[in-house]
Amino acid sequence: MLSALLAREKSAIGLASWLSALSGFLWLPQAALVAATFSHLLLGEGGVRVGTGVLSFLGFAALRLILNYLAEGLLFRAGQAIVTQMRQEILAREGQNLGTSALGGPGALAALAGEKLDALLPYITRYTPAQKRVMTVPFAILALAFWQSWAVGLVFVIAGPLIPVFMALVGYAAKEASERQMQEIGSLGDLLVDRLAALADIRLLGAAPRLIERFDRSADDLRSRTMAVLRIAFLSSTVLELFAALGVAMVAVWVGFSLLGELSWGAWGGGITPWAGIFLLLLAPDYFQPLRDLSAAWHDKAAALAVAGELAKWQDHEAETLLGTGAKRAPLSGPATVRLSGVAVRRGGRKIIYPDAEIAPGQRVALSGPSGAGKTTLLRLIAGLDRPAAGTIMVAGQPLSDETADGWRARLGWMPQAPMFLARSLRHNIAFGAPLSPDLLSETALEGVLKSLPKGDLTILGETGGGLSGGEARRVMLARALAARPDVVLADEPTADLDHETAERVTEALLALAERGATLIVATHDPKLIAKMDRVIDVAPAGRDAQEATHG
Amino acid sequence: MAKLWHIFRLMMRGEAKSLWRGLLLSALVLMMGAALLGLSGWFIVAASAAGLLGTGAVFDVFRPSAMVRFLAIGRTATRYGERILTHDATLRALTRLRVTLLSGLAKRSHERLIRLRGAQALNRIIADVDALDGVPLRLFLPLIAGGATQLLALLFLSWLVDWRVALPIFLIFTFGALAVLLWGIRRARVPSRRAEAAAQAFRTRFIDLLTSREDLALYGQLPDQSEACLSAEARRQAAATATDFVERQAGAALMVISALAAAVALWIGGDLAQAGVITPAQAAIGFFAALALMETVAPLRRAVAEMGRMIGAARRVIALTEGALQEGQGADPELSRATPVQLRFDQVGFARNGAQPVIEGFDLSLGASEWVALKGPSGVGKSTVLLMAAGALAPTQGQVTLNGQPVTELAPGTVTLVGQRAALIQGSIAENLRLAAPEADDAALHAALRAVALDEVIAAKGGLETGLGPRGAGLSGGETRRLVLARALLKQPSVLLLDEPTEGLDHPTAERVLAGIRAALPQAVILMAAHRAEEQGAADKIVTLG
Ligand SMILES: Nc1ncnc2c1ncn2[C@@H]1O[C@H](COP(=O)(O)OP(=O)(O)OP(=O)(O)O)[C@@H](O)[C@H]1O
Ligand SMILES: [Mg+2]
Repeated sequence: MLSALLAREKSAIGLASWLSALSGFLWLPQAALVAATFSHLLLGEGGVRVGTGVLSFLGFAALRLILNYLAEGLLFRAGQAIVTQMRQEILAREGQNLGTSALGGPGALAALAGEKLDALLPYITRYTPAQKRVMTVPFAILALAFWQSWAVGLVFVIAGPLIPVFMALVGYAAKEASERQMQEIGSLGDLLVDRLAALADIRLLGAAPRLIERFDRSADDLRSRTMAVLRIAFLSSTVLELFAALGVAMVAVWVGFSLLGELSWGAWGGGITPWAGIFLLLLAPDYFQPLRDLSAAWHDKAAALAVAGELAKWQDHEAETLLGTGAKRAPLSGPATVRLSGVAVRRGGRKIIYPDAEIAPGQRVALSGPSGAGKTTLLRLIAGLDRPAAGTIMVAGQPLSDETADGWRARLGWMPQAPMFLARSLRHNIAFGAPLSPDLLSETALEGVLKSLPKGDLTILGETGGGLSGGEARRVMLARALAARPDVVLADEPTADLDHETAERVTEALLALAERGATLIVATHDPKLIAKMDRVIDVAPAGRDAQEATHG
Repeated sequence: MAKLWHIFRLMMRGEAKSLWRGLLLSALVLMMGAALLGLSGWFIVAASAAGLLGTGAVFDVFRPSAMVRFLAIGRTATRYGERILTHDATLRALTRLRVTLLSGLAKRSHERLIRLRGAQALNRIIADVDALDGVPLRLFLPLIAGGATQLLALLFLSWLVDWRVALPIFLIFTFGALAVLLWGIRRARVPSRRAEAAAQAFRTRFIDLLTSREDLALYGQLPDQSEACLSAEARRQAAATATDFVERQAGAALMVISALAAAVALWIGGDLAQAGVITPAQAAIGFFAALALMETVAPLRRAVAEMGRMIGAARRVIALTEGALQEGQGADPELSRATPVQLRFDQVGFARNGAQPVIEGFDLSLGASEWVALKGPSGVGKSTVLLMAAGALAPTQGQVTLNGQPVTELAPGTVTLVGQRAALIQGSIAENLRLAAPEADDAALHAALRAVALDEVIAAKGGLETGLGPRGAGLSGGETRRLVLARALLKQPSVLLLDEPTEGLDHPTAERVLAGIRAALPQAVILMAAHRAEEQGAADKIVTLG
């Protein structure tokens, strides 16, 4: 999964890695120049003079800087491109899915699409170039070391390979720790998104202190998991630094003794020159540097692997999908008939079987039945939000399918049982950007409501309409349905939460719509509303026979 | 910057000891690094000088090489300690901050709380707090430790080498780094803040998309909402790219400064050595120490990039923590269950600041076992009366008392209110029920479900451990309603307030639920807002408002 992700920006990442390796290589001539300058100072002759040394030191520094700068820029862009692409994919797919994903609810998904995807960035910008440097730079330094001194070369050869072995050992633990950390991030997100929206009720139950306690525990859990990841990362880079420090110290001591003339082994043909000594000392830290960079980025890799694992899990999960795409389409043509034949769905262990029915355009139909009988489910089926397990639903003379669903929905008005509000203005929640007509507001008795709100129709409400009373929220849903100028209205308990007078007004508004030729399909328990319908479809729970009654 | 300092002090409060130690260790790491490289450079050059002069035999090799080893190992170990200490302290401080923020939210007035959106709170408690980890780790600690190291290096290099080498190094690093910091922050602050704002907008919109996708699909708005998410992402990407641009430039500038300092050390040191003022070995100390001092400025690069994001987050977090202190409500002892209860409304009125009063001069007294229904048209203030009785809304006139004690002073939940909007959470049925009564056993849960005619439904679904989706998805409207009622019954309240309890239930179920409530709480005072005939029929007394 991870390599597949990187493959999308393969050439940019490859080029940048080479640039960064090249910058590493340039340290070799730069160090040689510094050594030559000191050699000149010591011997008073030969080598490089101070002025030249300083200028060329700066020149190389500038060159390396530019290379690094370019490499970082390329890597950042490549990383961003990959992350954004993945975000788009998540968005495209989750927009079509129904229900919860394999990872959890909205909080967990938002964590995946948000901060977790961002965790891929350090892997791309830090780990991949470090990997390239490890594969190249130390070998060049090793060759130079052997050229000057077999002893120094030997130190490098021995210390070098210990590092990858150690890293492999650390790698496994790091990955597991990162996975646990990522999971905790997701569940903390879910905990908050879900409970904070319900915080008012939770407090009314006196459960707020317990929620805070629970959150404290989860947040502390996340902290200790993050710390576990960091501990491994720090430990591994400390061990590496230790190797590096010991290696450098051994080189320094050998070089010092050799220069003093105390040691006569280790170099080819007797002692070494001051230039070679200083040069070797300058090279030693850079032999280990790429390995240290790699180890410092090791937990970035572990995090990226954990994220990639979650992405794979998310991708493999086959969720139920919506019919159609949910886009605005030209309305389906033809008279707005609805025909159910042999429709059944599974709900948990239960199978709900619906009676066959045909609803003609302009008919007023009540769906009735006890709580949990399947009224809402039937409305959802007719709207193409759920797929029946058996049977077909014909709408406007065509089977309801992925092709026809969007066109069919363009003719619908929808009043859900539980109002939901987007984090946008109330106006947008009603008409989705279109202006609100005064008629619409008076028909739904909303003018007074808008006036009493602090920011009028620009107010942003709570998710379930917090800030409005239950009846007001329901009237907003009615206004939204009417604003769509529907041919068919699917209303779920439109008169719930309303007093007689307002219920009457809402009923009037619905009936007025029917007067103009729209079909009404209403799931309700309200006997007054039922009485005003042309017919009732009884949605009976399993065991009872479905029946249909027709009013005179 | 003042905001960041405020946050830093807030974070230090509980973790002062660890952070101080961490600071000390970070400075130590930097100093040991400079000492290590300076000493190694001196050692090599001095050794070769001694070798050349033939005085190698009397040159003390053991003490310097022991020092090199000590510094090398000591620095590594110190760095490990420093990282663990500072990260642990920072993460602890952040966790505490998160909990403070959540408690702050939980103390908000009811009116504000019902408008709280999950995604918005998530942005505060998770994203903003996450953004603040850089305040100690990448801003203040490196700044203080780096400054101290530079000062010390100035002293030591003046003593060991020459002030003419030490001073330029010091000046180049400090002024250079400060200049880069200020310049970088000025340029990166806006894009960095925008990138974070866009990331938060993406999160809010994406969560909206997920929670309302069915409604959006019905109105053909799904692509629009996706588009809104994508546009936030595009803005984030553009702002992040702009920030990265400045960050890389700042990084390059810091490298230039470091190279310049080393080059100047080499140049002046070399000249002085040639003039015989200092030895070449001393010149080497200056050069190598300057190379190592680069570590004192390198972390500033991240600070430049994160500054805007940190300042924005700090502002929001501070506003929230201060709000938390202002709105604090006292939680007082719960009412003892033994006494027969008496709920009284005394000339109670309520008006939102300046507006027409919703309710005025309301009097009512309820005793144990009494069940009163409030009726009246929508908007007349039935729910307001209930909220005042629950202590969630403070009356602007008169007061509501329970056994003589104002209800606003009781611990939240003493009087149990079941609002019109059912709020269930993701988790099992049992978990949802135990929100009210954490110690309740399964038998009690079953009894509560039976009282609201839900036991069979839940059994058919797989029992108490059946999981519900986000916001309790997986139940029908009426089932949700009944589960919320069952949850309230589990609390065994002495005062139960119900807002349209049987809304959305069919007639027989409504009757069963109302009878179940009465049977479950024979002693309780029940006050109920009701329009349905079934509900009004269940009450002992009906009070008409308006
Ligand atoms: N998302 C879901 N997953 C599984 N089962 C569900 C889901 N939504 C509803 N159910 C179950 O399907 C059955 C029918 O639910 P539906 O919402 O259609 O009932 P309803 O007739 O509208 O009831 P009410 O009058 O209470 O709203 C119920 O048993 C309910 O528990
Ligand atoms: Mg329903």
